[in-house]
Amino acid sequence: MTATTIIAAEQDQTPTRIQSVNRRILLAAWRMPSFRVGFFIFVALLLVSVVYPEISSVSATKMVVKDKFLPPVLLGEKWVWEHPLGTDQLGRDMLMRSFIGLRYSLLVGVVTVVLIFIIGCGLGLFAGFKGKWWDIVIMRITDAQLSIPMIILAITILGVSRPTVPTIIIVLALSGWPLYARVARSAAVTERGKEYVRGLRVLGAGDWRILLLFAAPNILPPIAFVAVLDVARMMIFEAILGFLGLGIQPPTPSFGSIIADSRKYLINAWWIATIPGIFLAVALTSINLMGSALEKARNRIYGGL
Amino acid sequence: MDLSLILEVGDLAVGPATPGSPPILDRISFRLHTSEILGIYGESGTGKTVLSRALANWLPESLEYRAGRIIFAGQDILKKGACEVRTGRDIAYIGSKPQSSLDPTVPVGVQIAEKLHSVRPEWNRRECRERVIQLLGEVRIPSPRERYWDYPSKFSGGMMQRAMIVDAICAEPAVLIADNVTQPLDVTIAAQIVALLHDLCLRHKMATIYLSSSLPTLRQFGDNTAILYQGRFVEQQPFAELLAAPKTDYTRKAIASVPRMWSEADGPLVRRPAEGDVPLMRVENVYRTYRARKRGTFNSYSNVQAVRGVTLDIMPRENFGIVGESGCGKSTLTRLLAWLEVPDRGNIVLSGTSLASLSPRELIRKRNEFQLLLQDPYNALPPRTTVGRMIEESLLIRGRVSRADLRSRVVAAMAEVGLAAEFYDQLPNALSTGERQRISIARALILDPKLLILDETLSALDQREQARLIDLFSKLQEKNDLTYVFISHDLAMVRKVCTRIAVMYLGEMVEIADNRQLFFDPQHPYTKALLSAAPTLEDKLFDPGDFLLEGEPPSPIDIPPGCSFASRCPKAFGRCRVEIPKLVEQSPGRFAACHLLDAGEAKAAA
Amino acid sequence: MLILEFLGKRIAQGLLIIFITSLIIFTLLRVVPGDPVRLIVGGMAPPDVVEKVATKMGLRDPIIVQYGRYMRGLLQGDLGQSYLRPRSGMIATGGQYIDPTKSDMAPVIDLILERLPFTLQLGGMALLFALLMSFPIGIAGGLHQHGWQNALAFGVQSLFVSIPNFWLAIVLILFLSVKLKLLPALGYQGFSYVLLPAFVLAVEIAPFIIRTLTTSLGEVMQSTFIDEARVRGLSRRRIVYSHALRNAAVPLVNLLGIQLSTLIGGVLVIEYIFDYPGLGNLTVVSVVGRDFPVIQGIAITTSAVFVFINIIVDLVAYLIDPRVEI
Repeated sequence: MTATTIIAAEQDQTPTRIQSVNRRILLAAWRMPSFRVGFFIFVALLLVSVVYPEISSVSATKMVVKDKFLPPVLLGEKWVWEHPLGTDQLGRDMLMRSFIGLRYSLLVGVVTVVLIFIIGCGLGLFAGFKGKWWDIVIMRITDAQLSIPMIILAITILGVSRPTVPTIIIVLALSGWPLYARVARSAAVTERGKEYVRGLRVLGAGDWRILLLFAAPNILPPIAFVAVLDVARMMIFEAILGFLGLGIQPPTPSFGSIIADSRKYLINAWWIATIPGIFLAVALTSINLMGSALEKARNRIYGGL
Repeated sequence: MDLSLILEVGDLAVGPATPGSPPILDRISFRLHTSEILGIYGESGTGKTVLSRALANWLPESLEYRAGRIIFAGQDILKKGACEVRTGRDIAYIGSKPQSSLDPTVPVGVQIAEKLHSVRPEWNRRECRERVIQLLGEVRIPSPRERYWDYPSKFSGGMMQRAMIVDAICAEPAVLIADNVTQPLDVTIAAQIVALLHDLCLRHKMATIYLSSSLPTLRQFGDNTAILYQGRFVEQQPFAELLAAPKTDYTRKAIASVPRMWSEADGPLVRRPAEGDVPLMRVENVYRTYRARKRGTFNSYSNVQAVRGVTLDIMPRENFGIVGESGCGKSTLTRLLAWLEVPDRGNIVLSGTSLASLSPRELIRKRNEFQLLLQDPYNALPPRTTVGRMIEESLLIRGRVSRADLRSRVVAAMAEVGLAAEFYDQLPNALSTGERQRISIARALILDPKLLILDETLSALDQREQARLIDLFSKLQEKNDLTYVFISHDLAMVRKVCTRIAVMYLGEMVEIADNRQLFFDPQHPYTKALLSAAPTLEDKLFDPGDFLLEGEPPSPIDIPPGCSFASRCPKAFGRCRVEIPKLVEQSPGRFAACHLLDAGEAKAAA
Repeated sequence: MLILEFLGKRIAQGLLIIFITSLIIFTLLRVVPGDPVRLIVGGMAPPDVVEKVATKMGLRDPIIVQYGRYMRGLLQGDLGQSYLRPRSGMIATGGQYIDPTKSDMAPVIDLILERLPFTLQLGGMALLFALLMSFPIGIAGGLHQHGWQNALAFGVQSLFVSIPNFWLAIVLILFLSVKLKLLPALGYQGFSYVLLPAFVLAVEIAPFIIRTLTTSLGEVMQSTFIDEARVRGLSRRRIVYSHALRNAAVPLVNLLGIQLSTLIGGVLVIEYIFDYPGLGNLTVVSVVGRDFPVIQGIAITTSAVFVFINIIVDLVAYLIDPRVEI
């Protein structure tokens, strides 16, 4: 009991509205301005990156050499409205390239996290709940997997074959699942010791039944809320891979490869490097705001329960 | 006795910091002299903790002083500039949660010395350390010099409370505030702490304010007692007069609600044994030992002997009670009785069938006959599940049941325990503790069991709810021909409800007897100690002075040879430390395990 | 005694992990397409030359045999020799054919040892910068959970975690090195060359430290014993710094252990961008050139560093908080 809860215990308990814990977490997060800001920015970016390339006629990959090195609107000389964020060294529109790059970023980020969540939590729950041999084996595998940094794995696998979106996702998922397995496992171990599990066992329920019907729905949502943050993390990894040349291959735009190429033109056409970075940073910030708000809300609700 | 006035509180009012909200404490006034002990009785929720904190000048941020004065040695500590009076040095505080009062990452002695040095910087560190070690010895902590360096997790509840007492008195405060200090402790340990505190207060001439939610505990101090109700002192008298002539209704009710163990000569009706009665459940010499890896070592294990050779017969339609303090193994025994764990040795036979011999499928079916009800109604039920669904689960585990059939059976079970049918689709969040326990009962009853094991099921309830549930239990017993096993540490409850009682100590049964016989004519020294320590307002049959135990029970990892009670028994003699006494039928239906009862030995020891 | 047993157990486990890691990398390299021999002899060489060189290099033997050979060498302290770099001088670029079985190639262990100190220096400085940045913000944020300090900590942490490290590197190089000429950027010719890369890396690490500090310090400040320390007479400063911070440090220390993987990845990218002569740089070049022995050597080194630091982390956690399981 902390200092503040002494008062709560001393006075009459006003009955709280019966509400699912998850809904309360979502509502608490929604009330935070940081969450709303992040949410709206994210939705805006998402919509724009999906819709705009379909309706605009500007191409992201066609090279128009005569248009190369056009600066963004209002900056420098020779800018045009047609290319509001300028063009790159081959005359391709920066705005369009950024949106397409964003698409792929988001795709890789979200799919990877979903995959990590399913595999990691699945194995972790299993290891934590069943215990003994399963636990030892799965945990040792996570140890081994964790000791191989993602970069090295990525370079080894992607550095030699032509990287495609599925292989990139697989590499990222391979390096990401151990963390979730660990978290899910320790949550499962805690859950396993709870009184209600004992109560269900007395009634005759078996381990699997308890795990799937009662324990998992209790354990997974808090992890899921925090998984939002990992979307951002995966997006950064995707960009890093692109930067090293191990990501989505040109001419398809990806943030990492655009920035990598831009290094040569840093002094003359600084916007080729900065613009994609800003896009990425804004997208990531919005996701991070949402994810952090969810995490804070979750900690607060679970702490108060 | 020195009669100087050390603390005077006048018209103290405390309330939340938000303006306009009603005060939590109002018009609190009293006077306290050196060496005087003031008892304050308050049930939980009446502002007792707030009062204790207010007196120590330790209000949380959400509360503020609204009015009044606290004058310590002539200075009003609430006024600005009265900084010579320091909490920790002049006024000390002991709380009710000893286990979480110190930093878990720093050794206990070091922290106490740190506090001492902080409030009395004129003493150097070595002096502080020596003083702390000396005080640790004074509060009867064995090997104080070694324990000085132990971490809080190595201290049991009782030991930790002693350490906190040292922490409070080491700076030689003039006033000591003790808030519910014995609440989390076992009965025999609590008795020791109370005696210790009393002794220290007199010896060090400290003025003490002792707050408690238990009138019997306050009785042991005897001085002026105040009754706190809804934030005010409704009465203030010396304790003896309070008992004899209470001035307010509230006090009268409070006195009446203290359970009586000795006044009525009869307990619940003893079950009439029918001819050819066969025990419903036989526990045959069960053992259960846990292997815990010794911390930090690779493969060296310690054996925790939780249950050692317990043998019981539970007859149909009786209320069998198992009592014991923490660490005696009753939780493990409960799990064995419910067959949540399998005994390492020995067997449990239910209605003639040995539980060990059943296949998993047969076991699920057999579980219909014996069910377990847990203690904590909040955690024992699966979260985010509706009431109806929880009760349905008992049936669903066993196979498909049609929707209509399911619903009607669940509603019937709910009706039987007194739960309104409209709760079916609700989450249990809004239900009271008593109602939640009824959910547990319903989901057990729906299986039509013959034996119900109640693991401290009534401990979390207040008197009223307890009484209602006990009522329900006896009704169900009549209707469904049930047998109950109550596992509890609450002697008063057991006295009211159980027909036959077993006393457990360190994994063994030391005495089994009928209700009346156990309470009025116990045979085992531990039973006597337990009964003498049980808090009650009546005159005790057993004088605590004769039976106050020393120290704590030995650890179940390191059980000394011979009788496990020998280390604390006031009557132990040579044989006790060598040979384990067997649980012997001393007279029909009465069992006790003590060498003193062997006729020959008794004469030799006398 | 306890600590000795702990060390013994963990070192044994660590060796096992290093072993498994090296086996995984070893196998992966030989299974994933991309033949090093091709890269060495050049695209024009006829197939039988490729085969001859490959067999001489031992690359056609079964993987188990290759691994056994490698392990035997390893136990004698020999990590093999680079496929690409001769003992003296740089890698031959295109055209020139150096037969690794004939000429004297650089021992892998030398290559690693000459670069390891640079990487360690980078990592160390980065950690130092990160701690210097994070602690004041994190502690202030943790102590004032509802104040502007917390919002600031939250803002800084969100910002830092959203900036891709390579982008920040480029932007900083652009402004601080090229435009303002304050700090050197590429390569290494003196201590000042480590500052910019270390700073970028620090920005990558800092958000996690800030986040963990604010949360765990916030939680610890709510605990009963902190509250009670006030009535026992301890000064606020003592409560926060001797007790609260101590308890809050344990999750932080654990975090460092887990984040290590990410840190190593970050070092690699930073070294690549800044052309910093550390292990990361070597890794990128070796993988692209399919220089198996060097890759394996680096994987083993990385694994060993990882295991070592984790052991230190767990030991420190135990020394702070004796309840930690070791």
